[in-house]
Amino acid sequence: MTLTVERIRTDVADCLGEDPTDIPVDENLIDHGLDSVRIMTLLERWRREHAVTASFADLAERPALDAWASLLGAV
Amino acid sequence: MSVLPLTAAQSGMWFAQALDPLSPAQNTAECLRIDGPLDPERFADALRRVADEAEALRVRVEDTPDGPVQHVSEVIELPLTVRESDTEAEAEAWMRADLAEPFDLASGPLFRHALFQVGADRWLWYQCVHHLVMDGYGYSLLVRRTAEVYSALVRGEEPAPRGFGHLADLVADDTAYRESAAFEADRAHWAAAFADRPEAPRLAGRGALPSRTFLRRTTHLSPGTTERLKDLATRLRATWPDVLIAAQALYTARATARTDVVLGLPMMGRMGSVALRVPGMVMNVLPLRLAVSPEETFAELVRRVVLGIREIRRHQRYRYEDIRRDLGLLGESRALVGPLVNVMPFDYDVDFAGAPARAWNLSAGPVDDLTVNVYDRADGRGLRIDHDGNPALYEDSDLTAHQERFLDLLDRLAGTDPQQPLAVHTVATPVEVGLVVDEFNRTERALPPTTLIGPIEARAARTPDATALVLGDTALTYAELNTRANRLARHLQTLGARPGAVVAVSVPRSVDLVVSLLAVLKAGAAYLPLDPDYPARRLAYMLGDAAPVCAVTDRVGRLPDDTGTEVVVLDGLDVSSYAWTNPARALTPAHPAYVIYTSGSTGRPKGVVVPHRAIDNRLRWMQHAYGLTAGDRVLQKTPSSFDVSVWEFFWPLREGATLVVAEPGGHKDPIYLARLIREQAVTTCHFVPSMLQVFLGAPEAAGCAEALRRVFCSGEALPRETASAFARALPGVELHNLYGPTEAAVDVTYHACDPADRGPVPIGRPVWNTRLYVLDAALQPCPPGVPGELYLAGAQLADGYLGRPELTAARFVADPFGPAGTRMYRTGDLARWTEKGEVEYLGRTDHQVKLRGQRIELGEVEAALAARPGVDAACALVHDDRLIGYVTGGADPAGVRAALARELPEHMVPAAVVALDAFPLSPNGKLDRRGLPAPVFTGGAGGRPYASAREEALTGLFAEVLDVEGIGPDDAFFDLGGTSLLAVRLVGRVREEFGAELTIGSLFEAPTPAALAARLDAAAPAAGDALGVVLPLRTEGDRTPLFGVHPAGGLAWCYAGLTARLGPQQPVYGLQARGLTGDEALPRTLQQEAEDYAERIREIQPHGPYRLLGWSVGGVLAHTVAVLLQEAGEEVELLALLDAFPSEQWRERPAPEEGDALTAVLRMAGFDRTGERTREDVLATLRRAGSPLAGLTDRTLSRIVDIVPNHARMMREHEHRPYDGDVLFFTAAAPRAESWLTRESWRPYVTGALDNHDLDCTHPQLMRDRYLDDIAAVLAARLKELDA
Repeated sequence: MTLTVERIRTDVADCLGEDPTDIPVDENLIDHGLDSVRIMTLLERWRREHAVTASFADLAERPALDAWASLLGAV
Repeated sequence: MSVLPLTAAQSGMWFAQALDPLSPAQNTAECLRIDGPLDPERFADALRRVADEAEALRVRVEDTPDGPVQHVSEVIELPLTVRESDTEAEAEAWMRADLAEPFDLASGPLFRHALFQVGADRWLWYQCVHHLVMDGYGYSLLVRRTAEVYSALVRGEEPAPRGFGHLADLVADDTAYRESAAFEADRAHWAAAFADRPEAPRLAGRGALPSRTFLRRTTHLSPGTTERLKDLATRLRATWPDVLIAAQALYTARATARTDVVLGLPMMGRMGSVALRVPGMVMNVLPLRLAVSPEETFAELVRRVVLGIREIRRHQRYRYEDIRRDLGLLGESRALVGPLVNVMPFDYDVDFAGAPARAWNLSAGPVDDLTVNVYDRADGRGLRIDHDGNPALYEDSDLTAHQERFLDLLDRLAGTDPQQPLAVHTVATPVEVGLVVDEFNRTERALPPTTLIGPIEARAARTPDATALVLGDTALTYAELNTRANRLARHLQTLGARPGAVVAVSVPRSVDLVVSLLAVLKAGAAYLPLDPDYPARRLAYMLGDAAPVCAVTDRVGRLPDDTGTEVVVLDGLDVSSYAWTNPARALTPAHPAYVIYTSGSTGRPKGVVVPHRAIDNRLRWMQHAYGLTAGDRVLQKTPSSFDVSVWEFFWPLREGATLVVAEPGGHKDPIYLARLIREQAVTTCHFVPSMLQVFLGAPEAAGCAEALRRVFCSGEALPRETASAFARALPGVELHNLYGPTEAAVDVTYHACDPADRGPVPIGRPVWNTRLYVLDAALQPCPPGVPGELYLAGAQLADGYLGRPELTAARFVADPFGPAGTRMYRTGDLARWTEKGEVEYLGRTDHQVKLRGQRIELGEVEAALAARPGVDAACALVHDDRLIGYVTGGADPAGVRAALARELPEHMVPAAVVALDAFPLSPNGKLDRRGLPAPVFTGGAGGRPYASAREEALTGLFAEVLDVEGIGPDDAFFDLGGTSLLAVRLVGRVREEFGAELTIGSLFEAPTPAALAARLDAAAPAAGDALGVVLPLRTEGDRTPLFGVHPAGGLAWCYAGLTARLGPQQPVYGLQARGLTGDEALPRTLQQEAEDYAERIREIQPHGPYRLLGWSVGGVLAHTVAVLLQEAGEEVELLALLDAFPSEQWRERPAPEEGDALTAVLRMAGFDRTGERTREDVLATLRRAGSPLAGLTDRTLSRIVDIVPNHARMMREHEHRPYDGDVLFFTAAAPRAESWLTRESWRPYVTGALDNHDLDCTHPQLMRDRYLDDIAAVLAARLKELDA
């Protein structure tokens, strides 16, 4: 099952405890409280549910919705 | 090959390794278990390729004149060991051995690989890397890349060229940061956040340098608990690491008795940075500071962890080493953080060509204190938790305890509503709670319902003729004491003394004091001891506060007369008309037995009311524990206002033993006490530890070992050094450490010291019917080893504070562990249980201090300071065992101190009052006690010239011992910051310098150099002004004088030591040879010399009876003088000869040579001549021994050179006549060269008996302290008989 941009936004909002509409597309998510533990949690979920092959470093390098969407080939 | 500087992160590691180059502490290691087929050749190929890609693995570090630099080699030989037939256990042992091998940073490589085949399809991959080049995240990069490369190789493909970043990028990034504005901002942030330098919470209670190794205990949090914790985290909008950190903060706060804890958080430090793709050393440790209070909820604590970490992250690049350095918190004693919580959520989800792998850490680097490593490997086994401990601080059992409690706490937190206050959680496991609350407190013992006084009366009836009390010359039987107390009791009853009433007693230590206390108790009332030395204002306050029905004193004027209290003056009181039998009274165990005042923190002392059943329980337990018998003699030396005196007074009288009462003031004088213990054969006594230390410092203490059976310590912490010194000085004597506040009937715990024990001396186990609780801030029980506040419950609790219900309610609170309605007393003492069920005392939770065993509330001193006019604000603290007051405002500090001395007991008067413009404040505006300046003691006057050389020398000794400059001859020792411990040092120095024996007591009486010089002049005249024929050793005193005639050298100074031992009432005069000064002719015969002396004696004491004494030649002369006096019709009642032999024993022996004068000088100082050849040698020996003879001038010495052979000649020519009477003789009984000497040769010249006393010493040693003690004892007894 492919990962969608909306799925990414919902999952990120979920682990930050915020509303998906409050998660901006192009801002650094670290400023919104994202940290390495949460990134690992997201990555494990997406590997399990969406067969993602990216590494932690890939996600942590540019922690923003739009960067992740293109990295993960989300539509 | 490229050369790069080290990053700041690497530099920290480099310096740590440079401190101990052979230490493997910085080795990190992990192991991957690969389940499946593995091709070792291809695996080695993959490792080689990864090492080629990872620059950090090819680094070696060289120290250059400009500092360390890292060389990155182009190629290196892969350090790989492959072993294909080991078991897993063998492989692990190999790994551990390898982990203990340090790397050589200069030669490299700084990593090692090993591959083990431990099963058909099971492999272990071990990698060990120096922390300087790799951190935990770096490992995950290496493992992912190795798996990727290996899998490609197995597929026959060339691995994707997905390279790592460069070390140079890390270095550049680091340099840029350190030059940026962010660096300065971060520095400022940390400096501000920790400006008050909070004390690091250390679970071991102390710090240590990192060791070369660490201890590890591994466990797993069950999958169920892990899931519940993760759910809890989600509900709290946090992550599971946040919850674990909050749990650790809670645990640490409770386990270290703190509400402000700082944890260390290792941070990967790579988010959003180039370092995400560089295997290397980047991680940092950052301090997370959290307030943890029992009222808050766990949800709130987790929230603060989340916010705290968010705050930290903004400043996370600033190095931990730099924060510590900025704050001055380096070294083992100054730490910034307590436990580290190291959460490692790194990306390990890999496989090797389809074979799954699971990693585990073997070493995460050096462990300063305690590190809790947490790994989530997402393999369904729950969280793995390692507790790593510094072996210098923790044993395996400690780690186990911390880990089990932490897991237990996590389990309960996961199952508890996070909105509940933290107070509902204990950090002890259920087993531990059972241990510390119940098991350690099994002290129930059924006892008869008696009172303090009842058993004393029963004993008096059973053994009326036994000796109850001894004080100096006085001894009372039980019947006598009982009769006196009964009569006084009946008198007191007429004045209103009855059960429930209070009677004050202000009597110095004496027989009357014991009688008075017993009388109050017999009347049924509670006694209130009022120390006669207390200032009048304090006595008046206590009389007003306690409202006694009357006050007993020894003489008129002892108590302030304006208090309205009826005063019973014992002096002149006749109670003989009262019946001698025990008075009737309706006394029950619930009635108060005594009221003792203690320092009060609000400025007013408070009276503690102790009921009979409490002290009766205490004394019954004491008898059970130590079994006093009729043969025991118990020393009473503690002032009656201090509750230790309660057992001293009454325990022996309940058991038929004898109470030996010390002279007033005697409790401060170790030399007096040693003599008293020896002479009175005291078996049982008490010392405050600081006084015990002083006592053991006196050489006389060792002589007490024979008499003493047991010594009790209490009042303040007993240092192990003191206990060890005790075992050395008094082998075979028991030493018991007791503890208890006045609020719990003297003592509630006990511990027998064992000379073999090490470490802190415990205060021990609870006594009968007593429960101890060590509770944390939430009033939850602390497990063994964890400090908390000590609470007491049981039979010995006081009723409370007299007339202070609110204060009583605040300190005596409901006992949550006991039956309903029972109370527990909050001590304010910090303590912890040992595993064995004993308690260790750790200090105070408040500002109460103990000085020489006396309890002082600093608040009371501060209140007294602040009450002085001109004082705006005040504070007090103890600095170097001295109480110091600080004041602001315009008041004159010396005036303030003088005013306090009129209000407060001596021990509460500051040694110095320091005036400040303002008090130093901490960043949060509180008084910063650590910022208060140490007091500078200076002398006051100094203006007048010295009256004598001795005065000048003593002033110098004061300055040396007190470490104070500008002292004048009229400055008082205790005003200059002198303490009783320093007083002992001064007495020791005076002994060294002047050869004079001073007592501590004499320093209280003569506290200035001038006064002390006068006293020394009286006791042992200084060289130069003490060469007259009559040497007045002590002129005061109302007894018949004792005259001592000089030995061969002509000086009588040797009798100074004897003088000191015969007491202040015994005058002593020495007789010295003519010719020591000036050009007087030497006598031609002993007869002529003796006639001269007899005349001199009659000038002082015109008529007999006379008392004479002489050592050596002096004995021959004394005998001759005695004969002359008798022939003149006078009575001679004492002739004491110290190892002196009549002339005819010498007649046929050759006279000594002139040179033997030096031998004679040495003998006068108590030495045989050994290697001393010249006069200088002799003087050097005398100086080393501290003999005053060392101060003899050349002229005097040259006269002695003539006097000695003159005496030898006259001795041989002398003819004795008989002396009519007995002779007291002392023989130096050690074998001597002159074996022919015998006292029996006196027989023709003594009509009476020859009462001989052998001393195990040589002739010269007779004048040494230890033999003088014995001689003085015999002499004193004889003098006493003569006086009687």
